[in-house]
Amino acid sequence: MKNSGAVLILTFITKLISQAAGVSPPGKPRLTSCRSPEKETFTCRWEPGDDGGLPTTYALYYRLENSETVYECPDYRTAGENSCFFNKNDTSLWVNYNITVVATNALGKNISDPVEVDVAYIVQPNTPENVTAVVVDDDQGPFVKVSWEKPRTADTRSGWITLLYQLRVKQEKDKEWEEYDAGRQKSYRVFSLHPDKEFMVQVRCKPDHGFWSEWTQTTYVKMPNYIPRERSLWIIITIFSVFIVLILTWTLNVKRNSVKLCLLPPVPGPKIKGFDKQLLKNGMSEEVFNSLVIQGFPPTTDYENLLVEYLEVYDNEEQELVLDGKDLSEDCIKSKSPSDCDSGRGSCDSRTLLLEKCIDGREGSGSDQHHYSQHGETSWASTESSECQGLEPGSPESSDGRVKTWPVVFSSPQPHHHYQVGAVKPVYHSVPEILNHSSPHAMPINYHQLHHQDIPQQEGRFSKPVCRHSQSYNQFNLDGVDTHALGVSPSRSLEYVEVQRVNPENILLLRPLSDPNHEPEGSDYSGEDYSKVKEVTSNNILLLQKDTSHQCVDDYSQADQCTTQQPPHPCKPVVHQSNSGMPQEGMWVTGNGYVDSTVLMPSY
Amino acid sequence: MSRSLKQVAVLLVALLCLDPHGRVGSAPICAHGPSGCHIPSLADLFDRVIQHSARMHSLSNDLHSEFEQYFLPSKNHIGKIYRKCHTSNILTPNGKENAQKLAREELTEVILKLLMAWRDPLFQLHQSMAHQQDFNSFSSNKALEMGDMAHELRKGVEKVAEKMRVLGMLGNSVTGLSAAEAMLPLSDSGEAMSDYELLYCFRRDSNKVQNYLKILKCRIVPEHDC
Repeated sequence: MKNSGAVLILTFITKLISQAAGVSPPGKPRLTSCRSPEKETFTCRWEPGDDGGLPTTYALYYRLENSETVYECPDYRTAGENSCFFNKNDTSLWVNYNITVVATNALGKNISDPVEVDVAYIVQPNTPENVTAVVVDDDQGPFVKVSWEKPRTADTRSGWITLLYQLRVKQEKDKEWEEYDAGRQKSYRVFSLHPDKEFMVQVRCKPDHGFWSEWTQTTYVKMPNYIPRERSLWIIITIFSVFIVLILTWTLNVKRNSVKLCLLPPVPGPKIKGFDKQLLKNGMSEEVFNSLVIQGFPPTTDYENLLVEYLEVYDNEEQELVLDGKDLSEDCIKSKSPSDCDSGRGSCDSRTLLLEKCIDGREGSGSDQHHYSQHGETSWASTESSECQGLEPGSPESSDGRVKTWPVVFSSPQPHHHYQVGAVKPVYHSVPEILNHSSPHAMPINYHQLHHQDIPQQEGRFSKPVCRHSQSYNQFNLDGVDTHALGVSPSRSLEYVEVQRVNPENILLLRPLSDPNHEPEGSDYSGEDYSKVKEVTSNNILLLQKDTSHQCVDDYSQADQCTTQQPPHPCKPVVHQSNSGMPQEGMWVTGNGYVDSTVLMPSY
Repeated sequence: MSRSLKQVAVLLVALLCLDPHGRVGSAPICAHGPSGCHIPSLADLFDRVIQHSARMHSLSNDLHSEFEQYFLPSKNHIGKIYRKCHTSNILTPNGKENAQKLAREELTEVILKLLMAWRDPLFQLHQSMAHQQDFNSFSSNKALEMGDMAHELRKGVEKVAEKMRVLGMLGNSVTGLSAAEAMLPLSDSGEAMSDYELLYCFRRDSNKVQNYLKILKCRIVPEHDC
């Protein structure tokens, strides 16, 4: 009782004295961190509290997991002040350490809060070493290759630790670093750095489970001054192309005339001998066509008994237009037009058409020259070659080198003439033209059955001579033909040709009408003789109206490619008739259902 | 009609039996050597196994920190005293030198023992996590995946051991493959461990497994990454 009282008084007095002197027991220390650089040793550091004015000593005590034995820190020095270093022997992984620090001074001691540590999870490696940044020149441009080494203490070789690296780059003036992950590599290439600038590079690492190390010291690298290759290449390309464009423009300018000629060929004018363009320009007048009239045409002989099937063109002269394949002899002059003086002409070549028709007829019929001459038909020679362009009549092989003559349209007893190709001017005439020119006298009309098989695919050529017939106008022999009306000559007593069929290849197949009740094939002067166009389809197809009283075939009038052109272009729309499945039937046109081929043919 | 069919059937059977080519035989896919198909090398097997263990450990780490975050916020983040793990009976090297001192066979054995010991507890963990309302489905899925991974990993390590034995790297003294037994996750006091304790213990053990595998690999096939 006395003792305790004495002790109490003593401590009280000591306290008063110490308070007066300003000393106190130490403050509580605090363990700041425990770190292991290589997972084999670790270091714990603490923060001392207030020392109380007296020299204070610190001691670290630890206890292993599930053991009550308390050990004291083996090494206070290695790691520096206020630290405890655990070496390999004292370090056990996957074991919890319970660590406390005790601060002691003369007046007392203080114990820190305990800390649980498992060494496996407190790994923070040292910084990587030997960071080098080198500028490497490449085709695409220079880049910086940064390389480093692992921290010396980390044992990655045995697989004990696996390190992941990271680097960061920035310019001196930049605020933010550019970070790159390098994985487990020990080098990294940095691209797209600005030329002629200095960059700072730092590297750090971390184990797969642990803390990042500190950044290394800054390594400086200077980028060289270079022009980006891509840009310079594009500049060169641009300059080069501009140069080429300039040259091209200048060349075009110099040669502008010929370029113009090439791109926009001039529209050809009519080249009909004796044809006066000026007159035509002034206006339609009959004088214009006067020069085109062939005297003595059509021949006015009686061919009635000579030809079986004729196309009745003139009503009063018994002239028959032979368009039957049988009647075409081999003497049909095949026109091979080597050249076309008139560049504007399309594929429309009436001359060729007629010639080909002649050839077809010749093939189909197999009739020979003799037969032909029997009828005394004049023949049309093909257009002289000089005027023609390579319009391939597509004649059969037998026509090669042979001079073929057209069967004369009019049954004039003229010996057929053989016209050498290129020797004589064309003398053919278009069928409707023949019709027009025939004097209005009745002519026996023989049906000219244009058999489909007689005129195979080469019917397409028919249109050509039709188109180009104008070339031969002035040569045409129109015996006994009323030549005054090169245009449309009204002739009611004419026995009309009816278009039996029009092939898709612009061949007009005509046949004479025997029905006197039929209205004559009118020209454009009589409106009621016209064929009524039922409708025009989109592909320039004229759908002609048929008389319902007859079995008619739908006619498809297909415009030729030369159809749309106005005179003086010789080509005009030709009425075609589709061949599909109706070979023998013709187009029965009665009453107002006439096809006025004259309208469609070039009218002069 | 039926007679002819029967005859046809008999003929067919006879053909099949008599014709040697008609017999169906079985041949391994990689019968034609390495060009036939790619047989994973030991290094490849090790890589796969290590990747597996890394994944497993990261899952356990995530779950543990989730648990800590949501259920024990007041704890010191550095550590806490836990009860003894049920696998503490298994002697495991706790340092680099110790691990390197162990023979390959023993190291393999330790790995297999550890993995085996966690087979049932992980299943239990998943069950209990799935039933509790506190855990979201994401966590319980992770637990399930973790359990599967442990299972796969064990199979993988067994394959590696097999391969090593075939290559003559392992002696026949490896008995751990058969001796590994499932353990019940009981603590000293016999109580079942809580989820958090299980997670804590498994996190540590998966780290051990990963480390041991890496050491084994770099010892046996030190080509790259070592």
